[in-house]
Amino acid sequence: MKLNKEMKFEIGRVYFAILGAVVLGIGIAEMLLGVTGRSFEWGIMEMSGEFLLWRGLILFFAGTFYLSSIQNFSDIHQLAKTVMASVMIWIIAGMKIFSMILESIPGGEEGGWFNTLEGFLASYSAPYIPSIFLLPFSLLVLYYIKLVESEEKMDGMKEESQPTGSGGDT
Amino acid sequence: MKILLMGNPNVGKSAIFNRLTGAKVIESNYPGTTVDYTRGYMRLDDEDVEVIDVPGTFSLEPKDVAEEVAVKILKENRDSVVVCIIDSTKLERGLYLALEIIEEGYPVVIALNMWDIAKEKSVWIDAKKLERVLGVPVVPTIAVSGEGIRELVSRIKEASPVDIERIVRNLEG
Amino acid sequence: MKLTVDERWDLIDKIAEQVVKYGEYRYRLKDAIADITVKPLTGIPIAIAVLYGFWSFFGAFAGFFTDGFLVKLFDNHWLPWLQEVFPGKGGWLYYIFVGDPAADNCFEAFGVLTSALFVAIGVVLPAIVAFYLFLIILEDTGYLPRLAVLVDTVLHKIGLHGFAVIPMILSLGCNVPAVIATRALETGKQRFMMAVLLAIFIPCGAQLGIMFKVIPGHVGFVMLYLLAGFFVFGFILDRLLPGKSPEILLDVPPYQRPIAKNVTRKLWMRVKSFFKVAIPFVLLGVIIVNLMYLTGFLGWLANLLEPLLCGWFGVPKETVGPLVAAFLRKDLAVAQLSAIEMTMPQLVTSVVLVSLYFPCVATFAMLIREGREGGLKGVSQYLFGGLGALIAVIFLWGGLIRLIWIILGVA
Repeated sequence: MKLNKEMKFEIGRVYFAILGAVVLGIGIAEMLLGVTGRSFEWGIMEMSGEFLLWRGLILFFAGTFYLSSIQNFSDIHQLAKTVMASVMIWIIAGMKIFSMILESIPGGEEGGWFNTLEGFLASYSAPYIPSIFLLPFSLLVLYYIKLVESEEKMDGMKEESQPTGSGGDT
Repeated sequence: MKILLMGNPNVGKSAIFNRLTGAKVIESNYPGTTVDYTRGYMRLDDEDVEVIDVPGTFSLEPKDVAEEVAVKILKENRDSVVVCIIDSTKLERGLYLALEIIEEGYPVVIALNMWDIAKEKSVWIDAKKLERVLGVPVVPTIAVSGEGIRELVSRIKEASPVDIERIVRNLEG
Repeated sequence: MKLTVDERWDLIDKIAEQVVKYGEYRYRLKDAIADITVKPLTGIPIAIAVLYGFWSFFGAFAGFFTDGFLVKLFDNHWLPWLQEVFPGKGGWLYYIFVGDPAADNCFEAFGVLTSALFVAIGVVLPAIVAFYLFLIILEDTGYLPRLAVLVDTVLHKIGLHGFAVIPMILSLGCNVPAVIATRALETGKQRFMMAVLLAIFIPCGAQLGIMFKVIPGHVGFVMLYLLAGFFVFGFILDRLLPGKSPEILLDVPPYQRPIAKNVTRKLWMRVKSFFKVAIPFVLLGVIIVNLMYLTGFLGWLANLLEPLLCGWFGVPKETVGPLVAAFLRKDLAVAQLSAIEMTMPQLVTSVVLVSLYFPCVATFAMLIREGREGGLKGVSQYLFGGLGALIAVIFLWGGLIRLIWIILGVA
């Protein structure tokens, strides 16, 4: 079955409403834990570590962005908020993955120059922070970016002219 | 030399004023009225130049006290460069005031502000062409993000008085 | 010549006809994204996320090199070798260059070839590379100038501009490059104010580490207290100092993709200039401090200040030694502080005092170097103005915290 454009956006609307609520909830939980200085572990997920309060705050904002974008979801301004909410999750998750990689390489205080294979693998074991789990779910926004951009191209309109385009020094 | 920021009301004039001047802003009351206007200083070629945020007006034929003050400030500062701020979505209205100021013989620089909003409304202004027609520097700006402000400042020194007849000829030629 | 109203409208119609085109441009997704990054309501949350990314990147990258490899290199290989081969153990030359012969790590040895070299290459260099890399990318995408515009309004209130966020962010890592970054400010007054405020109020990475160790539960409070001090004294200095604070005009290019070649070229330039400018001063600073230590000047200073510190700040007598030494060796000062029996308010007070000092000799040396451009007058302005501000802040802002304790009834 081929979906028309309205239906695609309707699905996106419901999807990001649910995702937004989840992100908002996690954000609030992390902020509360951060303020009280506690941590929480649940199976392979943990809410702890450095900057917990800040990560919570950012997820709180991301959730708010998602939720505020679902009205008139197909409007470009609203979609922009969905994109930025996803980018905020990518920043947290991406930086966590980046630091996991860097931490896995050196040998540690007592060891040699480089890590042992076991130590290397152990640094990638669970538990993970919530943003890592949210990351794949936030990627759906890429589909909507493509959808909008392909439409922009189809219109065949002239490329933009920037404000500094009047013979500026930029 | 002074710099006067002039334009219609609600064209982002104060936002541009804030981008141009430093933290020390002087709020003054125009003598004999209840109209306030702000002054500040900006750096232009290593010199401190006074900038006046003139109350918004639609034309030089005043309809109320604020407009009256605007005209008075303009007349009192004959040696000024006028930075005329135009809402890009309402070009005609802004040009009216700009032309009046040009006719008075002031050197003028035009800032096409709210360029982003114009884009959003699919309005596109050929700034280069406008510059050729008017014979004064025309710079698109977005005061909220600061885009174009630096160029605007760098072109203040290019401003010189233009004869309105030349503009008429430019249009026909 | 002047036109009549009708002639004018007629002319405008003709102009508009020629220059205005409708439907030529379509508002795109990237325009909408650009728009929400500069509007405060959406822009501030995005800025927080970007700064978080900045810090995480900084910590991970610098930690990888410093803790992962360079600490090992300096402590396990360089220091023992140097202690072995350097002649004249116990002599003053040995003390200046290698430092404490019993030290087992480069941080505490405090010799020119040990601590100073370790700090410069082992700690600061990776931090600088990480920092500039991220900063240049933010700059080249066009985000940084927009961030500056976003915070401009707040900073205007103390006579600074949005551009000041850049040295402020820099300063949380290390005050030395932050002091260098103040050069981008427009007037001498702005440069001096910012450099002094940064050096006093913004704790550097090392200081933050100390705080987390000694008063883990109160770091947030101390940071807020310091930040409040930054704004209060910024406000006061702005009014006290002569001179103007004109706006800094930033080039705000449209958002664009950064070009790898430009990023690497800029990074190389900045790291190179850091090497040339900062490292000689770090080394020189350590020499001077060691000489002060050797000649007994520091011990004399501690004795002199003792009644003052105890009376004004209400901290126990034993803390005077560490507090004076904190100017030189913060890590040591803190180790000593935590060993002294104190109530929690006294401990917080001591940590605030340690934070308020110029973060280190290197920053102090950099401050003086910044003044050098203004000749002898400039140097003395930075030296005495800086010291004056420092002393005033320590007594007023450090005394105020004791007042807070008294009002709260805990001291």
